[in-house]
Amino acid sequence: MIKAEHVYKDFGSTKVLKDVSLDINKGEVVVIIGPSGSGKSTFLRCINLLEPPTKGSVLIDDQDLVSLKQKQVTKVREKVGMVFQHFHLFPHKTVLDNLIYAPMKVKKLSKDEAVKRAEALLEKVGLLDKKNQYPNKLSGGQKQRVAIARALAMEPEYMLFDEPTSALDPEMVKEVLDVIQSLAESGMTMVIVTHEMGFAKQVANKVVFMDDGRILESNTPEAFFSNPKTDRAKDFLKKIL
Amino acid sequence: MEHVITGFKTIAPSIPYIINGIWVTLGIALGAAIIGFVLGILLSLCKIGNIKLLSGIARAYTSIFRGTPLIMQLALAYFAIPQLIGLNDVNPTTCAIVTFGLNSGAYMSEIIRSGINAVDKGQFEAASALGVGYWPMMKDIILPQAIKNILPAMMNEFITLTKDSAIVSTIAVTDMMRRSQIVSAEYYLYFPPMFVAFIMYYIVVLILTAVGGRIERRLSRSDQS
Repeated sequence: MIKAEHVYKDFGSTKVLKDVSLDINKGEVVVIIGPSGSGKSTFLRCINLLEPPTKGSVLIDDQDLVSLKQKQVTKVREKVGMVFQHFHLFPHKTVLDNLIYAPMKVKKLSKDEAVKRAEALLEKVGLLDKKNQYPNKLSGGQKQRVAIARALAMEPEYMLFDEPTSALDPEMVKEVLDVIQSLAESGMTMVIVTHEMGFAKQVANKVVFMDDGRILESNTPEAFFSNPKTDRAKDFLKKIL
Repeated sequence: MEHVITGFKTIAPSIPYIINGIWVTLGIALGAAIIGFVLGILLSLCKIGNIKLLSGIARAYTSIFRGTPLIMQLALAYFAIPQLIGLNDVNPTTCAIVTFGLNSGAYMSEIIRSGINAVDKGQFEAASALGVGYWPMMKDIILPQAIKNILPAMMNEFITLTKDSAIVSTIAVTDMMRRSQIVSAEYYLYFPPMFVAFIMYYIVVLILTAVGGRIERRLSRSDQS
């Protein structure tokens, strides 16, 4: 499981996270929502230490990442896949090479094995026919599906999604959400930062509402959406629904 | 006008000798570029890295080599340092290649550093999130993209090296410049041999520029970003 304990994060004098604690159990799908600037993405990035917390600890399977050396952090990251708002595919590599690079380099898979795994994943996200294309030839939705497949190629135990549909044209949002949904149904442990409330309702076991660097509510989606407890959450939901 | 033509006729037998000097010139430029490139990568990685000592050394290195005249560095390397450490016969061509390489490394490191900085920060994050370590990430993900961005600037650096290499004539390397001087002295005729070398330098630079333009266009055609 992932256990964030009293995480603080400052950027200079700006306090972005103020004492955030959250448990994510195996098989759980946690969706983090909240207004822009509330610290959701920063918190997500603290989980795999892309942003090292200023204070507090992040435990993944009982290993405290904050206390680990860089090399060991890199090792733990193999277990935690991440999908970014802006995809960040490797532009100089084909779709297939994007998928097989880390498994070969980090997990020392043979090329045959890595290709086999990559092709199965591309099939799953419906992009096997694009395997020899370069990312710039793909639409945003296709890029994001490749990015998800790339993360899955490392066979992670956890997946982090940082606003995976925010940079997409509206008609491409669904194809990406469908992939994430099927991943959720397969039992993957996931943390998703999103503005898609309908999707959050549908996919989450737990909804976390953040504002101003704090977690204000953490509840089942049914309870949160029909009966938010804090005024801040009520206000937020009123504005976006 | 006539005496100019007569002049060219007089030195005609020596013209191939001058023109062939371009190989020495290009050899020095190429050797220096290779040293400069490797050194430039190392220095740029030191500069962007977190180790204060290394980045300090790299910065000081760059500052010194960019802050003094190349001809001065060459004289120091060829005349002064060998005397200081009691080295007798230093091969001037080798000395020139090494000095130019060390000098070019300083400029190259700044070019490469700017190239690395221009790579989207998300590329570092994506690689890190996949559990890729620092060195493979640099080698396989970041540098290929950085170098593609800075290829035109590196071609310019190579052209600069080709032109600047003319100062190796001051340490008795018989490059094209030196050869034009030798022929001038031999016939006591300055214009024809120097004009030959002058034109030849320009033609070579034009060719290199054209080659650079071609590479650039090809890269932008297959632009994979």
